[in-house]
Amino acid sequence: MDTLVSLGLTLLLLAATYFIGTAVERKHQADIERREARNRRIPVTTFETVPDDWKIARSGLVSGSVVVSVDYFKRFLAGLRGIFGGPIRSYEPLLDRARREAVLRMIEAARAKGYDAIVNVRLETSRLASSRQDGKGIAGVEMLAFGTAVRRGR
Amino acid sequence: MRFEPRAPREGINVSREHPLREAGVLVAGLAGVLVLIGIAVTLGMDLAVGLIPPELESRAFGAFAAGESRVEDDTAKGVAAAQRVLDALARHWPDAPYAFRLHLLAEDSPNAAALPGGRVLVTRGLLEAVESENELAFVLGHELGHFHGRHHLRRLGRQAVYGLALAALLGRSGGARPLGSIAAELTSRGFDRGQEREADAFGLRLVGAEYGHAAGSTAFFERLDPPGGPALEGVVAYFSTHPGGRERIAEIERLAAAEGLSTTGAPTEPAPR
Repeated sequence: MDTLVSLGLTLLLLAATYFIGTAVERKHQADIERREARNRRIPVTTFETVPDDWKIARSGLVSGSVVVSVDYFKRFLAGLRGIFGGPIRSYEPLLDRARREAVLRMIEAARAKGYDAIVNVRLETSRLASSRQDGKGIAGVEMLAFGTAVRRGR
Repeated sequence: MRFEPRAPREGINVSREHPLREAGVLVAGLAGVLVLIGIAVTLGMDLAVGLIPPELESRAFGAFAAGESRVEDDTAKGVAAAQRVLDALARHWPDAPYAFRLHLLAEDSPNAAALPGGRVLVTRGLLEAVESENELAFVLGHELGHFHGRHHLRRLGRQAVYGLALAALLGRSGGARPLGSIAAELTSRGFDRGQEREADAFGLRLVGAEYGHAAGSTAFFERLDPPGGPALEGVVAYFSTHPGGRERIAEIERLAAAEGLSTTGAPTEPAPR
């Protein structure tokens, strides 16, 4: 009987986190696409320097970061992948959103300071360990985007 | 150099496969693997148990029940009487490789268990709940049936080995863990209930040999599951450790009829107190 209860609770948790996770993901994805469209006029490149013919009025470091964690359902799927191997597909949309959100925050930081392009953009990921004693649990992942923002002069 | 703002194509870094589909395929695969391991472990245990002589078992588990903190003073009222019933039944199994010893567990729910090394645990609740010696005799005979089939060792070994296999397979995969323990229980339940039936049949033969009839054997279970009460069916029945009360009583009556024992009539011995 208690097996039935724990099975039911697990399924309930999986179903709840699946539906909540999917809704949150859709909402965030739509928000990202809207903001990307709004900021599309700002050149963001991985080139280390600005084009030769640009006159630079001022420049500075800009960064944007986001910390994400996975929900129960995604972790469950990833756990199964840990047994059978293969791409952990449940993490893909999560990390894709994290990268784009970090870049967007960097662009928004640059615009707020009056810059109009960002060069030498880099992305970095760092793992936040959880408080679990064995140190194996992952509390979340930080996605950091940074680059050199420039303002063109006349 | 001219800058042309263009949106990148969507879906390059994200797989198209629906997560629920992926979950279904993976869970089905894992369930298959777990069931295969469960069957392999169970069959392996059946082989291994045949290789463990009962003397070795008694030596290895000699201190088992004594180390149980909830075991009460075995000189308590009723224990000696229950031990006499156990001894009387065991005399009808002359080549029993164990010296059976009864221990009292300070618990109110009526229950009994067979422990490795020939130890029978009964709860105080059981001794208080039985209304005749015949009722107690069937429960004790049932536990002797577990020793006869060496179910106690099979179950212990299966749980240990399956637990190790699960820990090795699922140890680091977090969310899949509850699934593993559920699969473990489900695989073992089917085998467990088969063992319960075997033990019932053996206990009934001992009771028949001791009293010449089986009256009172089912009375205890009938009180636990009164006729017309809720019957376990379908899914819930599969999750229960013992065959459902009504189903079990019918099975006992069928076995008794096959052995030529009567289950009707009043129990003949007063309850041992």
